[in-house]
Amino acid sequence: MRRAGLAAGVAVAIAALGAPLLLGRGTLNDLWNLALAVVLASSWNILGGFAGQVSLGYSVFLGIGAYTTVLLSLRGVDPFATLVPGALLAAAFSVVIGLPGFRLRGPYFTIATIGVGEAIRVAASSVSFTGGSSGVRMPAGSFEFGRNYLGMVILAIATVAIAALVRRSAFGHTLAAIRQDVDGAEALGVDATRFKLAAHALSAGLVALAGGLYAINFQYIAPGAVFDFRLSLSIVLMPIVGGIGTVVGPLLGALVVSTIQLKLLELPALRDSYLFIYGGLLIAVILFEPKGLVGLARRIVAALRTPGATPRAADAR
Amino acid sequence: MPGEALLSVRGLRKRFGGLLAVAGVDFDVARGEVFGIIGPNGAGKTTLFGCLVGALRSTAGEVRFLGERIDGLPCHRIVRRGLVRTHQIVRPFREMTVADNVAIGAHFGRGAHRAARAARAVRDVLERTGLAHRADTLAGALTIGELKRLEIARSLATEPAALCLDEVMGGLNPGEIAGAMALIRAIQASGVTVLMIEHHVHAVAAVSDRIMVLNFGRKIAEGSPSAVLADPAVVEAYLGSETPIEAA
Amino acid sequence: MARFLTVAVNSLLAAGLYAEMAYGLAVIYGVMRIINLAHAGVMMLGAYLTLTLFSGLGLDPFLAFLIVGPVFLALGMGLYHAVVRRLPHGGSTPTMGSLLLLFGVWLVLQNFAYLMWSGDTQSILTGYTMKSVPVLGVRVGIPSLLVFLASGASLLFLNLLLKTTYLGKAIRAVTQNRDAAMLAGIDAEAISALAFGLGCAFAGVAGGMLATLYAFTPDFGRSFLLKSFCIIVLGGMESVTGVAAGALVLAIVENSLAVYTAIPISFQDAITFAILFLALVVLPEGLTGLFARAPRLRGAQ
Repeated sequence: MRRAGLAAGVAVAIAALGAPLLLGRGTLNDLWNLALAVVLASSWNILGGFAGQVSLGYSVFLGIGAYTTVLLSLRGVDPFATLVPGALLAAAFSVVIGLPGFRLRGPYFTIATIGVGEAIRVAASSVSFTGGSSGVRMPAGSFEFGRNYLGMVILAIATVAIAALVRRSAFGHTLAAIRQDVDGAEALGVDATRFKLAAHALSAGLVALAGGLYAINFQYIAPGAVFDFRLSLSIVLMPIVGGIGTVVGPLLGALVVSTIQLKLLELPALRDSYLFIYGGLLIAVILFEPKGLVGLARRIVAALRTPGATPRAADAR
Repeated sequence: MPGEALLSVRGLRKRFGGLLAVAGVDFDVARGEVFGIIGPNGAGKTTLFGCLVGALRSTAGEVRFLGERIDGLPCHRIVRRGLVRTHQIVRPFREMTVADNVAIGAHFGRGAHRAARAARAVRDVLERTGLAHRADTLAGALTIGELKRLEIARSLATEPAALCLDEVMGGLNPGEIAGAMALIRAIQASGVTVLMIEHHVHAVAAVSDRIMVLNFGRKIAEGSPSAVLADPAVVEAYLGSETPIEAA
Repeated sequence: MARFLTVAVNSLLAAGLYAEMAYGLAVIYGVMRIINLAHAGVMMLGAYLTLTLFSGLGLDPFLAFLIVGPVFLALGMGLYHAVVRRLPHGGSTPTMGSLLLLFGVWLVLQNFAYLMWSGDTQSILTGYTMKSVPVLGVRVGIPSLLVFLASGASLLFLNLLLKTTYLGKAIRAVTQNRDAAMLAGIDAEAISALAFGLGCAFAGVAGGMLATLYAFTPDFGRSFLLKSFCIIVLGGMESVTGVAAGALVLAIVENSLAVYTAIPISFQDAITFAILFLALVVLPEGLTGLFARAPRLRGAQ
């Protein structure tokens, strides 16, 4: 099963990389958005799914990556060279939030992250060196879509690979133990805070890289867009819908949510209904299949294998 | 170091709001002994363990382990120093296999093993606790007796100098209790000091070198099992309360 | 001295508003250990309903509670039976599932509002909206004053309800120990439904009052949700008077900072968040935790 999955993954990766040779600009744009969604969903899942710490403030890291890229590029640095400093800055900030934040359990941590997100958005809108509420623009002449596309696809492939490696590593097993029972883990010698901080920093860095590429592609960023709470929301929605805590789940979720965003909402009847859909999805998943599409698929497969048996949904985590 | 206690507790107090659960307890535990702790329900025994291993922050008092103060240290650091406990209500990582559960202890305990050495350590502990045949079973599928042994196995994997067992015999049938007693003796023989909270008074009397009795957060007796069980204050504490002493 | 009076009066008024917002959240949290993220959405809907009653029927917003209250009580209970009931709740700590579920409900409520009333900014302008009276030398807007009085009335009402009626005692019992309450014959499920309804009723009424003071859109409520949460954390999460005290503390801090320092108003959210953060980390039992050594005051429950 694992080898089939790996083969499928490699095939998809090659197809994605080769797509510019065959597909038109419009489709490539959609794929770019999908790749971005994959990076965001998979990265978030490292802290939110593997370690079980749900943060509703991840737009902060996207914004840090985006702003670092723009502000450094305006000072003459090559845009792609700004990506790493942005990632490091985001990782550092994640530690700053995490040191007090991870003393809070479960939902309290989540509420605190909402607060952090809001505070940063307000700060970015008010402070002048970030351009205030009107945002900042990349220096002219730095746009080249082919390069941007490859950049995002490579980042997406790398992120999924990293998530898969983490999941199977000792680090990942420790995160799983922390997710299931943090006190039990500490009682066996695990320094849970250190592991949460590490997972947070890793995922923050990856999201920030995506933020930098975002800035390079859109050329113009504003606090209302990159620090938006709705962005944090969709980042969380994707892994939950797809299957929180798995490697494939965020991919499925990214596909579903991107499709909704790009296609479904083009239909005039549904244009103003995206919150219904997001909210409805969230409610449906929590009530009926907390393990998302992956969980649903597993249940279907199990039901097909044992005729007559109807497995119930596992308890919500 | 002959003469110096492995674990030394002075004046330990723990208050929860208006309730003084541990009201000033002093005792020493010598290296290599099995030290039993008994007392009626609500006497503060589990709270005491919580304070020793850092799961709870004590309100006052000193705890010295291997000659150094450990009160106030976070739980995981105390485990690294060699003091670990099991939980009265078992808490396995249900979505992980038995072997993976034990591996957490092997990785993060005093041994801090990696890869191959960790795998060997895990196998070794599983053999000693009789769980080798369940190594690849998900913890969520075990019986209560097996879960109790898993609790012990995980803690043993941290290679402690002292192991605190919290009512490991609770809910076991007589055959399982005999098995638990044999395991405790084997643990002691391997050089690990054992503190055990137990309600099965006769079982704990049979394996312990010394026993301490707590009531309402205070020590009311300490000494050899036979002396303690004959102490009138101890008898009154049990018969005077609602909880009858469990027969072996 | 003048500045001190300004801070004092404005703090009291703001505290009244904040407390009114927080009561609903506190009741639900106390009874079910659920953090109702839909609270902001319910307040927002309350604002819109009050607006509709005002512009359609000419009903004064401060009398609207007579309709809004019962309507939202029913809505809250309906929401409980449709959705919230299916979740595990009543444990000692809130669950992620309940948080995310009610978050989803919030999104649905927002969309509903967009479709019904459009995303345009609305506000309620009555004959007395712009008028003010002097209180201790400080000019106070009449709507603010009325909100403060309403909040005081709510505090009295809640205290009376909780202490003298059977329902109130049942609510307090379930809040303190759900299992023990059930053993005493209390139908914890029915109480939970009622509590959820009551919480939504207060949220709706609070929303209506907010509408007299602020302009609003369907997206409104997030910063008020944060403030409400901050208040119930400060107030110890289990007592209504504690909520009022928490509201007062928050209001005093905000107003003092606004008057005595140069921190701009737009940073208020950040301040609220910082207080919330500190409170959660340093004072897990709220302000009452600070007084843990003193004997528990029964009256505060």
